[in-house]
Amino acid sequence: MTGVVTGCGVLSAAGDSVTDLLAAVRAGSLVGTDVRGRFEEPLPAAEAPAIADFDVRRLLGRKGTSFLDRATALAMVACGRALADGELTVDDDNRRRVGVVLGTTTGSLKSTMDFSRDTLVQEKPYLVNPVLFPNTVMNCASGQAAIRYGLRGVNATLAGGPLGFLYALRYALNAIRRGYADALLVGGVEEYTPNTAWAADLTGDGPAGEAAAVYLLRRPDAAAAGTPRAEVLAVATGFHPDDPAEGLAGCARRALATAHVRAGDVWAVAGGDPDPDTLRGVVPAAVERLPVRPALGDCQAATGALALGALLGRYAEDPAPHGRPALITGRSRDGGVAVAVVRGWRRAGDHHG
Amino acid sequence: MNRVVVTGLGPVSGIGIGVDEFTAGLRSGRSAAAPIRSFDATGFPHRYAGEVPAFRPEAVLRRLRIADWGRSALFAAAAARLAVTDAGLPLPAADPGRTGAVIGTTSGESTVVEQLVAELVDGGYPAMSAEALRQAPAERLAYAVSAELGLAGESVTLATACSASNYAIGYAYDLLCSGEADVMVAGGADSVCRWAHAGFFRLGALTERQCRPFDRDRSGILTGEGGAALVLETLDHARARGARIYAEVLGYGVNCDAHHMVAPNEDSVAACMRLAQENAGVKPADVDYISTHGTGTPANDLCEARAIRAVFGDHVPPVSSIKSMLGHTMGAASGFGAIATTLAIRHGFLPPTINWANPDPELSWIDPVPNTARPATVRVAQNNGFAFGGNNAITIFGAIR
Repeated sequence: MTGVVTGCGVLSAAGDSVTDLLAAVRAGSLVGTDVRGRFEEPLPAAEAPAIADFDVRRLLGRKGTSFLDRATALAMVACGRALADGELTVDDDNRRRVGVVLGTTTGSLKSTMDFSRDTLVQEKPYLVNPVLFPNTVMNCASGQAAIRYGLRGVNATLAGGPLGFLYALRYALNAIRRGYADALLVGGVEEYTPNTAWAADLTGDGPAGEAAAVYLLRRPDAAAAGTPRAEVLAVATGFHPDDPAEGLAGCARRALATAHVRAGDVWAVAGGDPDPDTLRGVVPAAVERLPVRPALGDCQAATGALALGALLGRYAEDPAPHGRPALITGRSRDGGVAVAVVRGWRRAGDHHG
Repeated sequence: MNRVVVTGLGPVSGIGIGVDEFTAGLRSGRSAAAPIRSFDATGFPHRYAGEVPAFRPEAVLRRLRIADWGRSALFAAAAARLAVTDAGLPLPAADPGRTGAVIGTTSGESTVVEQLVAELVDGGYPAMSAEALRQAPAERLAYAVSAELGLAGESVTLATACSASNYAIGYAYDLLCSGEADVMVAGGADSVCRWAHAGFFRLGALTERQCRPFDRDRSGILTGEGGAALVLETLDHARARGARIYAEVLGYGVNCDAHHMVAPNEDSVAACMRLAQENAGVKPADVDYISTHGTGTPANDLCEARAIRAVFGDHVPPVSSIKSMLGHTMGAASGFGAIATTLAIRHGFLPPTINWANPDPELSWIDPVPNTARPATVRVAQNNGFAFGGNNAITIFGAIR
């Protein structure tokens, strides 16, 4: 069984639509937002691929939002947009069958480090603010999104760094196949903070980016209510520290076999990695490549989610790839590899924008 | 659909490292509670935790370079190494791509993050060490297991807080059931850290020296740590290699409170029990024992006991909380619960709830197996796990038929 994507909610430095996202990915130059003045702490650069003008109170209201960290707030907004875009109304009849599955790296690193710092710098080590304690757990965003939208079904957070979204997508597909859920908000979220900015800078992974992208994934038979944008056919993962390129190729072959898709039919490869040789020898040489990192920086667990967004943008604008399969790839420094096989459609009305 | 069985156990805990020590610890009601050594607890009013001071990763691990990994990853990898050794699993696997790891955690590499915090307090953000930054991502808990054992299959870390091991066991069970893998190492790991100790203290949820679940005067959790791993494999795979089988994984359930980030929800917990039992194909009357979440806070134990009564009615089986012995090992907690449950089935005993002195009149239907392990025939057992974020996950194990 596959999962059908009927809605999406994207927040990125390039804008809040898959069209904006695609345009930036295609242009391939780093999207810069002025981040001076955003934090008291110094930053490694004046500009970064961070989301501009995100006002949590305007988007989510004042009630219950003052203690949310940025990653959680971004995820909540993206989840709400994906639900609305997918036209899924959550009520007492279905809320136990609707859930949230998000990818992350460390949750909100800033929330955790600020909280931990208080144990060192306050007069007493226990003088932390207990209201902020839930922000230190990595499942904070998925838990808060469930509360806001009343989603009592499968709720999970996968820590996967650059593979976070692809792990979440595979976990969600399993939950749908096993009959545990009818609809899942699946996404990746990462915030831009001094912590992530310096971490990326100091490890040579920079510049740090920021994004939240969430998709409404439904059982195919339950999807009749919404017009599908795309279908997730298969996700395969593996661990190959000694030969990640061959590991990724093996992963792609397994995913394609599971999806019953011939490698020669793949028209696009999207992902973080700008390496033009990724999966060379597996997919056709003329395949279209959509790497998100050159434009949007290191968005860690949101990277794969942005790649899916860019693909949705392509399916929407161009009738040529209609119904044809594309791959989303991911690779981590430690040897984790993952590949998703998706196919999308141009929907009636997509040409309007 | 494949049947799934438990063939190896790897506990790295404050009451014992390795299955023999751990079993002896459960049977004798050993306590891990001791003054904190992991960090300088000066200034904290409560200074006890359930640590694993005897943990020597170099004594267990064969492949990992210890300096490359954080404490939680080392707990996970050591637990996994002990579990595959206990299982007699031949490594490298004939098909490494069909063997994988799923590890749950609450705070990931918390001690690495706290090292970074100390560096930035001293010298600002640019003073953070690149090596510690590379060790901080939580995905490395599962990667440590895969690297230590040479596994090429799925390697995933589930960060669903204090029920994360049950999530991991459930997901591994699915991958085996559906034929995507032959063998999965599943469990969880976490390390004692300052921020969790401070956070639970400020929530009023931290006890001073003893964790006393289901006691009238229970006063909270003890923070704890460790690594818990189980080798799960398809029944066919286990039989083909002549493996010793501890128990069968019958099924699991997950749901979400969608109510409050910290406070548990009775209706949702009861709903999760029903989901798990339905998935496992068992009825409440079939369940001989419940390894509870049993944190020892007034709120959790009351909520959990009421949810149990709602599901089991007048036939509530004996329950116990091994957190009375281990402390709250966070993301590893339901992994230790799964190991204890498996041992209860295999050896025919119920682990006790230690430090129990006074019955709680509000929990009259609860038999917490007070203080002393009890011989019992356990055919089906339920292992509860709840978490911040309302992430409930319950696994169910049964005697092999």
